[in-house]
Amino acid sequence: MLRDRFQTGNAGASVARSAALCLVAMVVLAGPGTASDEPQPASQTPSNVSWTANTIARATSGNALRGLILARRCDRCHGREGFSSSPAVPNLAGLDRLVVWKQLDDFRSGKRTSFAMEPIAGGLSLEDFADLAAYYWIMPTTPDPQDDRAFPQPLTDQKNEAIAIKLITAGDGARGIPPCQACHGPVGLVTGAPSLATQNATYLLGEIEAFAKGKRSNDINLRMRSIARQLTEEERRALSQAYGAGLGTAPTGQGR
Amino acid sequence: MRPLGRPFAERSGPRATKVIRVALVSITLICVWLSVRFPYEVESGLERFLNGPDRVNPQTLHQRGEFVENNLGPTEDPSGGVTVRMIAEQYLFVPQCVVVPVEVPIRIRITSADVVHKPTIETVAEIKAVPGYVVESHVQFAHAGDYQMPCHEFCGPGHYAMRSFVKAVPLNEFRSLSREARRTCAAR
Repeated sequence: MLRDRFQTGNAGASVARSAALCLVAMVVLAGPGTASDEPQPASQTPSNVSWTANTIARATSGNALRGLILARRCDRCHGREGFSSSPAVPNLAGLDRLVVWKQLDDFRSGKRTSFAMEPIAGGLSLEDFADLAAYYWIMPTTPDPQDDRAFPQPLTDQKNEAIAIKLITAGDGARGIPPCQACHGPVGLVTGAPSLATQNATYLLGEIEAFAKGKRSNDINLRMRSIARQLTEEERRALSQAYGAGLGTAPTGQGR
Repeated sequence: MRPLGRPFAERSGPRATKVIRVALVSITLICVWLSVRFPYEVESGLERFLNGPDRVNPQTLHQRGEFVENNLGPTEDPSGGVTVRMIAEQYLFVPQCVVVPVEVPIRIRITSADVVHKPTIETVAEIKAVPGYVVESHVQFAHAGDYQMPCHEFCGPGHYAMRSFVKAVPLNEFRSLSREARRTCAAR
């Protein structure tokens, strides 16, 4: 009976034909959504890096053993185990692989400026970046008194501690400043944001100032530039000193 | 022996059968197309249905498309209205302070770079910022003043301090401001 119903005319062919037509129509209609037709100014990109699955796979596929050999040329400034002897140079030990990879790429493309790092990064390949990132990622961040590392430096002003702890744990909602620990650890880590638990004070202060004044602009979607601009001079100093003294490592956020 | 019911084709003719068959096939295909084209609704409405949602790649907002850095913030449209483009991200709305004119239709176009956020401009607007989509909202400020725009959808450990600001000023004052001042509230 079913066959009777569908055997009038060349049913199979006509169904196939209409199905093919509809498929073509679907492909045409389901194309990308209509873009805004307004003129758009030339784009000003903060970084050539975007956290697509490809980039993340590439940045995390490094060989730490090869990185160990490559990293010997970084020893002079960043220390043998990723802890610098100068508080103005960043510590690299334990940093997330994506962080090291992105900064190296930004140095190479000139999105982040540095007299020392731009030529060094310019001489490395993307594979080298991944290897170096893998090496510094597995370096321990535990204290080592035998080393000549600058970190941690004693906190001089107790008033600074109170200001910094408030900003690190709670931020300042009234000014729209999120707590540092939500992105920089230990509470949460946003993709590409460095852990500040073992970072040097002088270096941090310099970077906050650079973000605030727009001298450093390689943060994706204006994140750090927006926050640093809102911090007062006193808060910038307090924050960098507190992180430089190792306050970021403690499980803060209790009773505050 | 006669069948209990005559076949449909015999009763109504081949033409009706064909019409019904074409209708069934096209309804099925329309359903398939709808589920491909609109996986889930961001905003309802005929306009959205006809135009389709504006899609963006949340990972490359800073590199291409309408949400690149120097395209953010308020811009004046030829039609007389103002368009404000913003990105919601953990735990900020950027630009963090925008200046808008009062009593002028304002079109807010917002997308998210990571998770769902919900910017809420006091009693004026409540918008859901969804990664991958541009959500458009039409608002109008009746009174000049400083408005707060906190996030109203839990988005992570920094959620409770996620807040940006909207400053509504008279149209003359808005026109006198530079593009940079409009998106930083420099006077603040």
